[in-house]
Amino acid sequence: MNKTFAVALTIPDNEAFTALAALRRLGLPLGGVRRADIWSFEVDAAEAAGLPQTLATVETVFNPNKHELTERAGAHPLAGEVWIVPQDEGGAVRVGGRALAGVREVRRAVAWQLFEVSGALATPELLDRAIETFLCNPAFQKAITIRKVPR
Amino acid sequence: MACVAVPVFPGTNSEDETVRALQAAGLDAESVHWSRGGDALGAFDAFVLPGGFAYEDRVRAGAVAAHDELTDAIVAAAQAGKFVLGICNGAQILLETGLVPGTGPIRRPTAAFTPNRDGGRYLCRHVHVRLAVAPERVPALAGLAPGAVIPAWASHGDGRLAAAPEELARLHCDGHIAFVYCDAGGRPVPAPQGSALDCAALTNAAGTVVAIMPHPERDAWTFMHRDGAARLAARGDSAAMLGPSGGSAFFAAFARALGAGPAAPAR
Repeated sequence: MNKTFAVALTIPDNEAFTALAALRRLGLPLGGVRRADIWSFEVDAAEAAGLPQTLATVETVFNPNKHELTERAGAHPLAGEVWIVPQDEGGAVRVGGRALAGVREVRRAVAWQLFEVSGALATPELLDRAIETFLCNPAFQKAITIRKVPR
Repeated sequence: MACVAVPVFPGTNSEDETVRALQAAGLDAESVHWSRGGDALGAFDAFVLPGGFAYEDRVRAGAVAAHDELTDAIVAAAQAGKFVLGICNGAQILLETGLVPGTGPIRRPTAAFTPNRDGGRYLCRHVHVRLAVAPERVPALAGLAPGAVIPAWASHGDGRLAAAPEELARLHCDGHIAFVYCDAGGRPVPAPQGSALDCAALTNAAGTVVAIMPHPERDAWTFMHRDGAARLAARGDSAAMLGPSGGSAFFAAFARALGAGPAAPAR
């Protein structure tokens, strides 16, 4: 079964702020950017329930002093969000050098969720502009949005 | 004397040795901080983007710097025909701008130096690179001998050229692969990080912009050179240690392209 988690900073995210400044400089009317590391697992059902606790012990993934770990409802982006993944990514089986019980495959992505100046989620058109002009280098990356969820 | 700007972004770390290598080649070179803005670059004849981690490689290597105001001025200058070199992170920035390979619109990159194979493990290794095209193909490095071999230090986590298969075929056929990895004798060797086509450097169609991943400025003086009898013989002799090494040929060629006379590198 699939289990997908987002690991995001609870302290100010300088990388997200830099991305916001760059996107504004490119003329996109944005009010905010949220970034998260996405960890998507194919895991044996018997081990799935304990996966969040196990993942939280991997220090290179999660630091309780500055991260929050959130389970996602599925292996797909949220509204206003894009996942950036390498085109040649192959699924791994280890996390931070560790094999986790019951995990058969791990896939990673970087999630960028954009907000308009009003605070509303970015429209699909605005998100597409951000992807095309800055967030994704199509030479080696692909962008996944909820309109383009891989089957 | 030709005047060369070495742009410095937050996180750039190789500007000093780059400036000194250019000065040793007979050029008037100075570093220009990003905070001075694009107008500060108007008086320069050419540009060398040095290595480092501009903007901490946030988003991806070179992406933020490629959209900086300082870079806007460099893109405009390159489009006007001025020579531009990028070394390591500078090369990554140039690919993000689309100036190299220059097969697509500006700021719509068609290739990238991506994380090294084996999960982006950082590579720090002495290497040699060989000029893979005719010297006339790269006016920015006029005067390099055919098949010139340059020693350099590979020092990067993102040095693996990647692009779509049809783009790689175009880069190969149209002579965009300016340098490939080789041994000290110029014989081909596989790229240490898995770079496509064993590419160490790319150039644009006009050969006026060159993006090279390994650092020739880190092998511009004998004391920096890893191998060879010259360094061993120079032990205990500070003057010999400060003599030119092979990487200086890269900057001497750039100086000749800018009409400056080659000078013996000195610290």
